[in-house]
Formats: sequence, C-alpha cells, structure tokens
Amino acid sequence: MTSAGPVIPNFGEGSDCVTENRLFCTDWARDNWGGVLQPALVQHVELTAIAVGVGALIALGVALLTHRYPLLERPFGAFSAIVYTIPSLALFQLLVPVTGLTVTTVEVALVGYTLLILYRNALEGLRAAPPDVLEAARGMGLTPRQTLLRIQLPLALPAVIAGLRVAVVSTIALATVAALVIPQGLGYPIFLALREYFKTEIIAAGGLAVALALAADGLLVVVQRALVPWARTRRTA
Amino acid sequence: MIRKHNRRAAKAAFAISFGVAIILGGAAAAPAAHGSAAATPIILGTKDFPEQFILGQLYKQALEAKGFRVTYKENIGGTELIDKALRSSRVTIYPEYTGIALAVTFKRSKLPKTALGTYNLAKQLYGRRGQTLARQTLFQDKDAIAVLRTTAAQYGLKTVGDLKKVPNLTLAGFPPFKARWAPELASQYGVKSFDFTPLAGISAYTLLNQKKVLAAAIFTTDPALISTRYVVLQDPRNMFGFQYVAPVLSKKLVAENGTRFTSTLNRVSGLLTLRAMIAMNKAVAVDKKAPAAVASAFLKANGVK
Amino acid sequence: MNVAALGVFADALRFVVDERSLILDKTAEHLELSGAAMAVALLAALPLGVFLGHLHRGSFLAVNVANIGRALPSLAVIAAGISVLGIGFANVVLALVILAVPPILTNAYVAVDGVEADVVEAARGMGMTRLQILRRVELPLALPLLFAGIRTATVFVVATATIAAVAGGGGLGDIIVNQSVYGLDGVVGAAVCVSVLALGADALLGLLQRSLTPDAVRAEAGVLEPDVVTGVTRL
Repeated sequence: MTSAGPVIPNFGEGSDCVTENRLFCTDWARDNWGGVLQPALVQHVELTAIAVGVGALIALGVALLTHRYPLLERPFGAFSAIVYTIPSLALFQLLVPVTGLTVTTVEVALVGYTLLILYRNALEGLRAAPPDVLEAARGMGLTPRQTLLRIQLPLALPAVIAGLRVAVVSTIALATVAALVIPQGLGYPIFLALREYFKTEIIAAGGLAVALALAADGLLVVVQRALVPWARTRRTA
Repeated sequence: MIRKHNRRAAKAAFAISFGVAIILGGAAAAPAAHGSAAATPIILGTKDFPEQFILGQLYKQALEAKGFRVTYKENIGGTELIDKALRSSRVTIYPEYTGIALAVTFKRSKLPKTALGTYNLAKQLYGRRGQTLARQTLFQDKDAIAVLRTTAAQYGLKTVGDLKKVPNLTLAGFPPFKARWAPELASQYGVKSFDFTPLAGISAYTLLNQKKVLAAAIFTTDPALISTRYVVLQDPRNMFGFQYVAPVLSKKLVAENGTRFTSTLNRVSGLLTLRAMIAMNKAVAVDKKAPAAVASAFLKANGVK
Repeated sequence: MNVAALGVFADALRFVVDERSLILDKTAEHLELSGAAMAVALLAALPLGVFLGHLHRGSFLAVNVANIGRALPSLAVIAAGISVLGIGFANVVLALVILAVPPILTNAYVAVDGVEADVVEAARGMGMTRLQILRRVELPLALPLLFAGIRTATVFVVATATIAAVAGGGGLGDIIVNQSVYGLDGVVGAAVCVSVLALGADALLGLLQRSLTPDAVRAEAGVLEPDVVTGVTRL
C-alpha cells in the first residue's frame, strides 16, 4: 500500500501516425487485430450466417408453400418488399421497443431484409423447370413430391444460389449498421471511431467488411460452379 | 382409402397433442426452475463514452480475476437508457457518477454540499429501489473551467470567481453548458457576462491553445489535462457539484456474492485517482489503445489480476 | 408481444405531432441530402450506362460495379468519406453518390444492352440514325429496367441518408441516433417517418415507372417488374 497512489503503467505512446490521425496506420491495425478487429470480424460473420440461414429457411419454406398455394405469392411478396424498403436503421429502432437492445432485434431485421431476395429467387427457381420436362416426369409416373425433389429443386439451384449470393453480400454490408443497436460486428469499431474521426479504425473495419463481402461472394461462386456445372452464368447476377 | 385418411388424421392428432403437452409442461416447469435456484447474473453495463468503457473493463476484469462470471454490455447509452436497463434487470451493475444519479436519475434540483453527502443521498435513494452503491472512486469527472497557465498568471486567476476580473471574457464549451451553468455562474460567483462559443467539432483545448478563447468549459478527467499548460480553476462553492464514480448494483448481487464481490469493486475504486484516470483516458482517446488493454495493464500493474 | 411496446408507438406518434416543425425541418434536410445525391448520381451514371449499353461495350465494368456497390457497407463509406474529407454537406453527398451510382449504372447498361437485337436491326433497316435508334427504340424498350435501377437507387439513398446522421449529416437520422436528446418516442417517431418517406418514394416512383412505360412493353412485362441489381423480380 503506497501512499503515493496506484502504479500507473506506461500504456505506450501512440505512434505519430496515430496521434496525427494519418490515413492508415498499419501499426495500430496490427496491435489491435486480436483485441478489436478480429473479434468484430467473427461477430460479423456470426450475425450474417444466422441471418442468411434463418432467412433462407423461411424464404424457401414459404416458396415451397407458394408452389402449393399460389395465392400466397402476392401477400408475402408485398410483405417482404415493404420490409426491404424500410431503412435499416429505422427498422432496428422500430424493433427495439419490442425485442430490446439485443442480438434478436438485429437478427429479426437482417432476416427480414434477406426475405425478398431469397423468396423471389426461390420462386423463380421453382418455376424454372420447363413445362415439357414436367410433362415428361408426369408421364414417367413420378408423384408430385418426387417431381419436386428430383427435378424442380435441382433446377431451382442456380436461382437460389444467385439469390444467396446477393443476400450474403447485402447482409454483410447491412450488418455494419447493427452496431448502432448492439456493440457487435464490424460496424461497432467504425461507430466508435467516428466520434474522433479516427481514420485508421474506420478504414480497417470498413475494409474488412468489404473484403468479407467479396470473399463470401467469391466462395459462393465456387460453390455454384461446383453444384450446378450445367448452369450458364447469368450476366446479370 | 378412408381408413388411411383416419390413420393419418389420428397420427397428426397424436403428434399435435404430444407437442402441446411438451410445451405446456415446459412452460410450467420453467418458472419453477427460475424461481428456485437462479442466481442473479452479473450483467455489467456501461454508458456510451470512452471513460465508461475503461471503467467497465476495470470492474469486469477485476471481478473475472476473482472467479466471477460477468456478462459485459458496453455502450448502452446515456443515463436514462442505462438506468432503465438497470430497473428492468437487463443490467445489474454499472458505474455511475453520484451527482448525475441525483440530478438525472432521481431528478433532484437541490444537491448536497459535500461529496459524502451526495454519495449517501444517492445510496439512500437507490436503496429504496432495491439497489445500492459500492464505495466511490478517488477521482471525480465533473464540469470545470480551465484556462492557459499564462492566462491565469496574467489575470491572477485561481478560482472560478476570479473570472470576474477578466474583461471581455470568452468561454468555449459544449452547447448544453451555457444553459446549465450560466445562471449559477452569475448567482454564485458573480461571473455575469461572457461570450459563449459552442463547440462543434473542434476541441475546447485547441481553441485555448490558439488563444481564440480565454477560458474553456471542460471535464476534470480530460486527457489534455495531462499537460501542465492548463490550469483548472477551483470551485470553492462546489457549484459544479460532485461526480465521483460508484458502481450501482442490485442488492441481490451483494447478498448472493458476499464480501469478496464488493471488496473487489472497492479495491478497484480505491486505485482510481485523478492522475490514473486521466492517464488511462489519454491512452484510449489520444494513443488509441483499446480500453480492454488499458484496463488490463493497469490492473496487472497494481496486482489486481 | 409486449404491451409496453404499444405504448411506445403511441408516444412516438404523439412526438411526431407535437414536434412537427422539427420533423418537417429534418425531413426537408433529409430530402435535400437525398435529392442532391440522386441528381449527381444520375448525371454521372445514367448517360454513361446508356451509352455503354448502346455500344454493347464494358459489360465487365457494368456488372462488377454492381457487385462491388452491393458489397460496400454504407456506414463504412460514409464514415470513410467524412473522416478523410471532413464534415460537410458536400462530403456526405459524395458518399451517398458513391452508393447510388452502381444500381443506376448497371441497370442502365443492362437495360439498353438487352434490347432485342432484331428490333434494333429492324430499325436500322428502316433507315434510322444511331441517335434515332437510341431515342425512339432502345430507350423506350429499356425504360422499365432502367427506371427500376433509378427507383432502387432512390430508396437506397433515402435509407442511407438516415445513417449519414452519425457523421453529422443531418436529416431524420439525426433524431434516430440522438436518443439522449429526443428520447425513445422521438427515435421511434423519426423511424416511422423515415420508413414512410422511403415507402412513399418507392410507391411514387413505381407509379411514375408505370406511367412512363409504353403500353406495349407494360403488357409484356406483366405484374412482375425486373430489377437487375438485386437479380430479382419484384412486384
């Protein structure tokens, strides 16, 4: 017990780069990788994975239901389009009174944003089977269920994966806004760094988000080529 | 055909009732389990600025070093938001400024005249809601007015009241400062007229350095105060009140976790002098070190972890 | 469902009514920001996209611009723009322009590029000049898809202008990110307002799109309108 007060260790001076707030300080990025950037990246991947996973389940499920009950298309299409149009920050704040400042709020919103793309593409995919092929299948004696499983679903894959690509990339970008609700994901370091306009942190976290999105997109292209080698790459998606 | 239909219907009915039974059973069991042995979780929250992040990390890491499990919720928001979280048990402990607790949380307009009085009143008011305060820190983060050392020498400025002596006084500060303190500055210290420059993007210290203003409304734990070129004017009438930090926590946490819990909190608070807090604030705000790393270094240097 | 939540929405509506001059001011700011960004983005991207599509050149550019644009996290672009260029109306608008250009450019390109070759051939056979073909054949046929891109970009800009508030951009987002000043009812109220704004813009542009589409084209497109950028057809 010293009467002189606590030991104040040397926390390390910020390099000139940091104190002068130059565009990008690699030393800061290196020092804070383990403590700040990597955890944020991992959280970001988790947020995205859950959102796209749940969204895909719901969208595919409703698409299959729509296949059976076509009347579902208008209402669910309109619903997902409306959710998609609501600005993300607004949707988060509208959910907060209901689900609180939690991951749930963020996930509900992120899932909502994937629905339009995944639903539309799943429907498109299910309808992609040419009528003559379906005729042939019926002629061969396949039940509707067998036709679905053995012909329609495989033919739907290109459209579904195209939708997944868009959903994943968009969700990664959107998940950065989630940081305004919960302290998770790559948006959080950006949000904190914005107070002082600390360039390095903003560029490091933002750059990681872009890199993550492009990497995920590239990965899905590889998956697509592997799973559906017969599909011609569409110019648009 | 009909028999197949019936069988399928029967299977469906059985499955549904089985499912409903499970759900109802689970729902009935859950509150019972919850009520009996669930310990109050240690959910440590912080407000939305760096000093709070540091304080949060300090308390969190100290508790974890003693074997407690802590759920950390950083950056919840301002005082009202985090108090709301406390009342709804989404947070069970967070570091609060005693004066703010009285003024904002409990909406008191008349504040006690001593630091201990402020602390005790806050503790009493929290007590009525099932919460309590651990011991307060050695530093306080309150409003203050600073001038350049050269300015202080030039006009003979020691206290806030001495600002009366400055002709054409210019003061820079965050926009809420004027509305909050101008009346008191006049009534308590006779500092009646000054030109107020609201801050928008440029730090008050920069304006002082550039001699654009003569005085600046600042906070006593600002990192810039590590430098000797500024003098913080004394406030003998304690107009700015007292803002020592004390962890607000649910009484249940104290009851369930015992003295090891509270003594850990108090040990940390006892280490936090003004110099220490300013140094840590500087490390985070200026040198851009992560609050977790700064807190860890401080605790290790003082044998807490 | 939490009964308290319903109370919050009631409070939010009361906030909007009580503070309507504030809301109107912020909405005006929001529209100013969005309008400026869209104007610049249209000027930059529309002619370029149409031109490239007409020439059937630069498909690599057009498609990849869309991919990269989609991958840009709006918060990061705005934050980077502000921190590098400083605070200010122009800088926020620049960030929004960067985000608005990809959908406009890509859709314009694909729309004009995708006009059926036979139709263009027929027009050329009739003796039309390049400019006449562009104006009288390609553009009208490309209109639905092209306009879909403008519509997507507009809604996107209105939405992103909300986030611009964290960088001091102003607009309705200003209320949403300052809960300590405006309270939860203010935040939810502003959130409702900005949602209405975005939905309204989308609906309005949808109507405009429908009125601008020549009847023949509309009949063919049917109920679903194509929207290249999302790779999805939407109602």
